[in-house]
Amino acid sequence: MTILNESGIPDVLPPLHAVNNLARRLPDVLVVVAGTQAEAHLVECLPAAPSPNLPPSRRNPRVIFAVLDPDDPPRQGLLASRIVESAAGLRGTHLVLLVAGRTAEPLGVDAAFEARLVARKLGLPVEVVNPDAPHEVSGILSTDLEDSVLAVLVNLCPKRKTSDLVEAASPAKRGGLFGGLLGRGAEAPDSDDGRPVVLLGGTFSSGTAQVLATELSRAGVEVAGSVPSSGIGELPPLGEGTVVAVMDPNLTSAAGVAERRGATVVKTLMPVGVDGTARFVQDVAEEAGTRTSEVVRARSAWEDLDVLRNRIRGKRIFFTGDTGFEIPLARFLADAGAVVLEVGAPRLDRRFLAAELQALGPDVDVVVSPDYRGQTNRIDESRPDVVISSPGLHLPLVARGHLCRSPRDFLEAGLYGYGGARNILELLVRTLERAETLDSLNL
Amino acid sequence: MKLLRGVYEGPQSYGILRVAASIRGIHALLRALPGESYFRTLYAARERTGEMAPVTLSPLRGGPDDSMAPGNLARDLSGVLRRHPKTEVVILARSEASLLSGESIPTTLPEVEGTGRTPGLVTFPWERPGMRETEAAELALEDLIRARMQDGLERSPYPTVNIFGPPIFGPGAAAEYAEAERLLEMVGVEVNARVPLGANTTDLGRLPRAWANVLLYREVGESATLYLQDEFGMPRVTTPMIGAAGTGALLRSVGELCQLDPKSVQRTIWAELARTAKLPWYARLEPPETFQNRKVAIFGDFTYPLGLGYALAREVGLEVTACGTYLTHLERDFLFHANTFTEEAFVEEDTEEVAVRIEAAKPDLVIGTHLEVDVANSLGVPYLPLCSPVTDRPFVGRPLMGYAGSSVLADELDVVLREKSTEPAVEAGIQWTDEALQEAAAVPLFLRGRARRLAEERARRQGSGEVTREIFLESRS
Repeated sequence: MTILNESGIPDVLPPLHAVNNLARRLPDVLVVVAGTQAEAHLVECLPAAPSPNLPPSRRNPRVIFAVLDPDDPPRQGLLASRIVESAAGLRGTHLVLLVAGRTAEPLGVDAAFEARLVARKLGLPVEVVNPDAPHEVSGILSTDLEDSVLAVLVNLCPKRKTSDLVEAASPAKRGGLFGGLLGRGAEAPDSDDGRPVVLLGGTFSSGTAQVLATELSRAGVEVAGSVPSSGIGELPPLGEGTVVAVMDPNLTSAAGVAERRGATVVKTLMPVGVDGTARFVQDVAEEAGTRTSEVVRARSAWEDLDVLRNRIRGKRIFFTGDTGFEIPLARFLADAGAVVLEVGAPRLDRRFLAAELQALGPDVDVVVSPDYRGQTNRIDESRPDVVISSPGLHLPLVARGHLCRSPRDFLEAGLYGYGGARNILELLVRTLERAETLDSLNL
Repeated sequence: MKLLRGVYEGPQSYGILRVAASIRGIHALLRALPGESYFRTLYAARERTGEMAPVTLSPLRGGPDDSMAPGNLARDLSGVLRRHPKTEVVILARSEASLLSGESIPTTLPEVEGTGRTPGLVTFPWERPGMRETEAAELALEDLIRARMQDGLERSPYPTVNIFGPPIFGPGAAAEYAEAERLLEMVGVEVNARVPLGANTTDLGRLPRAWANVLLYREVGESATLYLQDEFGMPRVTTPMIGAAGTGALLRSVGELCQLDPKSVQRTIWAELARTAKLPWYARLEPPETFQNRKVAIFGDFTYPLGLGYALAREVGLEVTACGTYLTHLERDFLFHANTFTEEAFVEEDTEEVAVRIEAAKPDLVIGTHLEVDVANSLGVPYLPLCSPVTDRPFVGRPLMGYAGSSVLADELDVVLREKSTEPAVEAGIQWTDEALQEAAAVPLFLRGRARRLAEERARRQGSGEVTREIFLESRS
């Protein structure tokens, strides 16, 4: 594996575009985007995930734009009182996310202050999210907003106190009078003094936490919950003694917050692909206090995929990079026999992705902050079989005769676990087959 | 500060880029944060031609400028020339973040290496944060024309006109130009240039060759045509070319300005009315009951709501019970024209307030932008997305202007008006308690109509004669 830095302009969808999608994924959250016309317009008209070819997503009543007037900065507290008014019309709100980016501050909005004000008036948690927040490593990914929102959610998880740990150790005391009757089911996982596991990620493909929880429970690890959960009220306790298993390669800040809260973040592969899932389950189980071996299961999973692997063996794949998911995807596809020509990484946190980078095959080039024009030229020269392309390059590349898929299509298909490995290969095979059918037409 | 659920217009940089990307030979350098540059993606998704937008990002960076990575404005400008050597004009557009940062911008360009040629650089000193897309597009077009203007041009020996139409991203923008050109050529007038969509940078400098300017889309062409009128004495035609009457009026004015034989112009119009224009035919074929007491609410930019409102009120015979625009800077003009066919003309840029106005108009049909679909759904009435901005991206652009456009309009109306709404307008017998009304008042406006209907349905199902707070809340959960 070689890492090059092109210092170019990567083709990345602005992170802010994810607002509508996040609001749909988190149904009890009210999202207020504070900024100028530009921000509101961006959310309004950018095609949402999964595919660059789709029209903008339907408007969500839980997304509101606070459009600031540069000539007339709002007085302090005005934004807060407006948010309170609109929150009153939406029932079942359990969290208000105030998305305040690049323009809010220069236009005189103290987002943290307004958030505190709203929180006091509504009695709800109100958190500020900055979609343009600089990361430790420079560059942006189109999934950055998801990362920041998950970081907020991690912070909202109830704290696991040391006293809980002590209590958990003496089950007789717990639950008071009814402990014996009601508490039994809940005690089972605690009894083998394993540490609770919380899954972090999987925002854009629903039901993924379930898939991995099943996989882990097969290995004898009970999953205490996941972030994001189905509701703010259902966030699992997270703190000292919790094992956090990160599912997505883009969640650097969310993982950082979990670590700062005292949880143990497992440093392992992402649960993408067969080997990724196997290592993930093994390492998470070990951290949680259970020894397990996934060798047999991984071997049989690989065997199951034989037919599909034969179809993609030797196919040349180019990742332009956009979501950050390209690295685990490339790792799996290279293992499965495809030839990965290049993986674009608009941002690459080498420390966070150390395990992934190590597992990446020796022939794979990672290009950090790639230039989209350079990439286009390299794609034209090397003529890959499939380009996993960012939205801005999708149509131009298709027009030049390349076969393209969006990395978001993989997310949507569900790429986690052993089943996800099959989904990934199937999606790719389907793409190739369809292209062959169309190419064989005599037009 | 306003709390909105959607916006009609983009920021000023977006308007400038729309104009720039419409004209060949222009390359735009956008000074913005990396998270602000979505024009290229949008261009690919909207245009679907596979071309890359002629826009390059010059990322605004916070830190010290010590690397050779993009971000240094002067270097990025020469980078544009290096990568796109055929560029005639480079324009510099700035995002709001760039404007708010207060950085200074260069005003000259270096020459293209080895050629000794220096493309023109056009900057827009009037850019300021908070400015809207349409206004900026209008000013940018004027500036571009001024910058390219050539001296000593002679008027063409035969009658020609310039067409000032919509910029890219209108679903049928190119089709509007084509229809206008078809009709003008039919009456014997050649088109000198299509501006901005389809022009090249040389065309911009040769506009005064034409005898007149035909202003199809005032939103973007207004100040450019006024400049040409003041500077070169070029007359302009501003009648919206929508509906058969509007199109006829426009062709007659052009004929007059180009000194054509009025009888021959009229013959062309009659021929077109017999062959192409189906709106008058549709209006005559349908029984009057189809249109009687049918109300329509129209909302959009400037040209389309006015043109459609006039055509629907006069040529079709619908009652226009609301007609609005979001272009606040054109308020006076809009109200002046809209008041000729409706009592309820309004200017509003808040989607919620627009929903209120449309709801109050009790329409049987909503014609609007893609943002009006919710209010139409909540009222349970048909909806036609005919005013910009719309998100439809048809592969075949269909005009709404000219005689062909009038037929498109007739087809659209035929589909939505055929079925007389069977639902009684007012649900008799269902009362609302005060508490329920209070709850309903808290629902976002564009969802309220639907919420009200659901609650009344629930009350009926439960056999209750009134909607109580409980019923309302249950129907919402």
